[in-house]
Amino acid sequence: MNKRIHYYNRLSTPADKALIAPDHVVPAPGECYVYSPLGSAYKLQSYTEGNGKNTSLVTIFMIWNTMMGTSILSIPWGMKQAGFTTGMCVIILMGLLTLYCCYRVVKSRTMISSLDTATWEYPDVCRHYFGSFGQWSSLLFSLVSLIGAMIVYWVLMSNFLFNTGKFIFNFIHHINDTDTVLSTNNSNPVICPSAGSGGHPDNSSMIFNANETGIQQFETWWDKSKTVPFYLVGLLLPLLNFKSPSFFSKFNILGTVSVLYLIFLVTFKAVHLGFHLEFHWFIPTEFFVPEIRFQFPQLTGVLTLAFFIHNCIITLLKNNKNQENNVRDLCIAYILVTLTYLYIGVLVFASFPSPPLSKDCIEQNFLDNFPSSDTLSFIARIFLLFQMMTVYPLLGYLARVQLLGHIFGDIYPSIFHVLILNLIIVGAGVIMACFYPNIGGIIRYSGAACGLAFVFIYPSLIYIISLHQEDRLTWPKLIFHVFIIILGLANLIVQFFM
Amino acid sequence: MKKKVLLMGKSGSGKTSMRSIIFANYIARDTRRLGATIDVEHSHVRFLGNLVLNLWDCGGQDTFMENYFTSQRDNIFRNVEVLIYVFDVESRELEKDMHYYQSCLEAILQNSPDAKIFCLVHKMDLVQEDQRDLIFKEREEDLRRLSRPLECACFRTSIWDETLYKAWSSIVYQLIPNVQQLEMNLRNFAQIIEADEVLLFERATFLVISHYQCREQRDVHRFEKISNIIKQFKLSCSKLAASFQSMEVRNSNFAAFIDIFTSNTYVMVVMSDPSIPSAATLINIRNARKHFEKLERVDGPKHSLLMR
Repeated sequence: MNKRIHYYNRLSTPADKALIAPDHVVPAPGECYVYSPLGSAYKLQSYTEGNGKNTSLVTIFMIWNTMMGTSILSIPWGMKQAGFTTGMCVIILMGLLTLYCCYRVVKSRTMISSLDTATWEYPDVCRHYFGSFGQWSSLLFSLVSLIGAMIVYWVLMSNFLFNTGKFIFNFIHHINDTDTVLSTNNSNPVICPSAGSGGHPDNSSMIFNANETGIQQFETWWDKSKTVPFYLVGLLLPLLNFKSPSFFSKFNILGTVSVLYLIFLVTFKAVHLGFHLEFHWFIPTEFFVPEIRFQFPQLTGVLTLAFFIHNCIITLLKNNKNQENNVRDLCIAYILVTLTYLYIGVLVFASFPSPPLSKDCIEQNFLDNFPSSDTLSFIARIFLLFQMMTVYPLLGYLARVQLLGHIFGDIYPSIFHVLILNLIIVGAGVIMACFYPNIGGIIRYSGAACGLAFVFIYPSLIYIISLHQEDRLTWPKLIFHVFIIILGLANLIVQFFM
Repeated sequence: MKKKVLLMGKSGSGKTSMRSIIFANYIARDTRRLGATIDVEHSHVRFLGNLVLNLWDCGGQDTFMENYFTSQRDNIFRNVEVLIYVFDVESRELEKDMHYYQSCLEAILQNSPDAKIFCLVHKMDLVQEDQRDLIFKEREEDLRRLSRPLECACFRTSIWDETLYKAWSSIVYQLIPNVQQLEMNLRNFAQIIEADEVLLFERATFLVISHYQCREQRDVHRFEKISNIIKQFKLSCSKLAASFQSMEVRNSNFAAFIDIFTSNTYVMVVMSDPSIPSAATLINIRNARKHFEKLERVDGPKHSLLMR
């Protein structure tokens, strides 16, 4: 068809419409999904003529929107793990590092001069340089990030569904939930769920009016780790089996609304709670954490996934109207993302009421620090629950397309293959929700693993190889990029020691 | 008296595009005409020897019937070697189309009863894929029935897939009288020079007349692709007032030679042993050329297709 179209183009003048390929013979541009594992996922309008129609503002917003997502919930915890000052520095430095690697990703495609790379995305570039090893490894890492994200989603959805259910139940039955967990005694309660059990957030709160059998029954049937994850199965497993999830990508706006609402919520709480900051540099005190802690790699692990957009940045920037502004727009988008993370992290950390509660109480999901009776966080949980329920099938579809497409060559071989894959994914989510609902942990492991390939190794390695092919490799560049690769490896290895 | 190939069909059925694509002519003007003029285009393309291609618009207006079918009918339909009639599969006036077709057939019967008749059901890409076979079979039956006592061969075509090239190749194949003998000689030639594949192209259109391959090739559409590439190259040459004569393509895996063969054909020889020097193959081709030209001349004056 290619040859045919070239030849026909030679036969007629540009004004003549007779030999221009009509739409039905040109293969349709495939469904193009843009996603960041913990951010949003949606279908992108791909332009076949080559030039996109999005202004810089739209492009910047789309990059910001795609990256923003549930990783926001773990940023305050990450800052707590790293220490306040260290946390801020780490966020800024990781932003810069991932921005540079993203820039390398964008430039990598243009450095291939021998082939027509107009429709290529980053895995195609990897395949070009590393052959089928590159293809398989990029598939593997991409799946790690997707499945990690889906497990996190399941844990969070169970959490939010549980809290929502509890709020509604308590609201209907006018129960004043007097938790025995540590909490502040004012109109903006903040709780510390893990105070009693040292580590794992306890999933069932004890209510002392246990004589009420109705509540007891509710407690048994509505348990965060024992029952709610299973209820979600009935809700979401059917949705995963859809052939085409384009219906769900229409709800993309929920993601933006959720993030904006979270920003508002954090600001509101900060205004009401005030700032509680004390600077102790190395020694932890009863209520505060030191400014510099050696657990900061936990934050870098989380941030690798928080700043992750390297798998689809090429596609996002392709639709930019003024291609020469690509780098500038990318930088602006990353600055905005960094600022958003900094804002939320700093505000939640700083406004956490430290005299009664220790900063160590900041949960891996900072909404867990608000009791289920808090209205504002209830609304936040509802938003996020709905948003996650619409993104979950999309992520499942993407995992399915990548895995089944490469193994079987067909993205929907039969209902059995798809069902088994979905059961595995859902099963993993349920198991994690029951036994290890630490989203911070899951995020940092999968983030460091996936980021190792896409953020640190591939961009740097490809740059080194292409420079070497053009004989432009110099020692400073080589050392710098090898250093980046080592950083990525260290990032992954050190997660296991924390 | 030059023999004619008539390319006829309703206005807008795709004849001019078809002709441009097959013969690598630039499209003369917009095929969608505003007025009611009925046009004939003579193109002095030497097609298969001494055939001249005439392109006629049939129908659309009643003036066609009056003017041409009555007054100039004999002029048009005399000395016709081939009639290729193009039907637009999307046409809404099937009755009228068939009516005009029948009038043409009557005229052919009267003036050139020996002409070969081909019907192309064109623009098949506009039909849904699962219905194409069905619709084509229906049309074919109707046309066969209508054409009696004349025989017509039907093809379904579209300029957006390989069916157009295949249909015209089949037409050319049927127009060559001694094609089996040609193929046998081609096979001998190929085996002697140890070629992987030898193709014989018609000179003006690069339609494949016959070919020999010693093993299965991966790409079934390679004939059309080669034809399109060479025609594109010829267009570029003509811009420089140069004309394409021969080509050699060589890399570490194969060597291909495209060269003038007889007065009406081109040959393409593909050798997968790149160690054989070009000169050897070119000498072989030159010697074969003499033999094949003799073959052409052997045919009597009746089968004048490949003769000067």
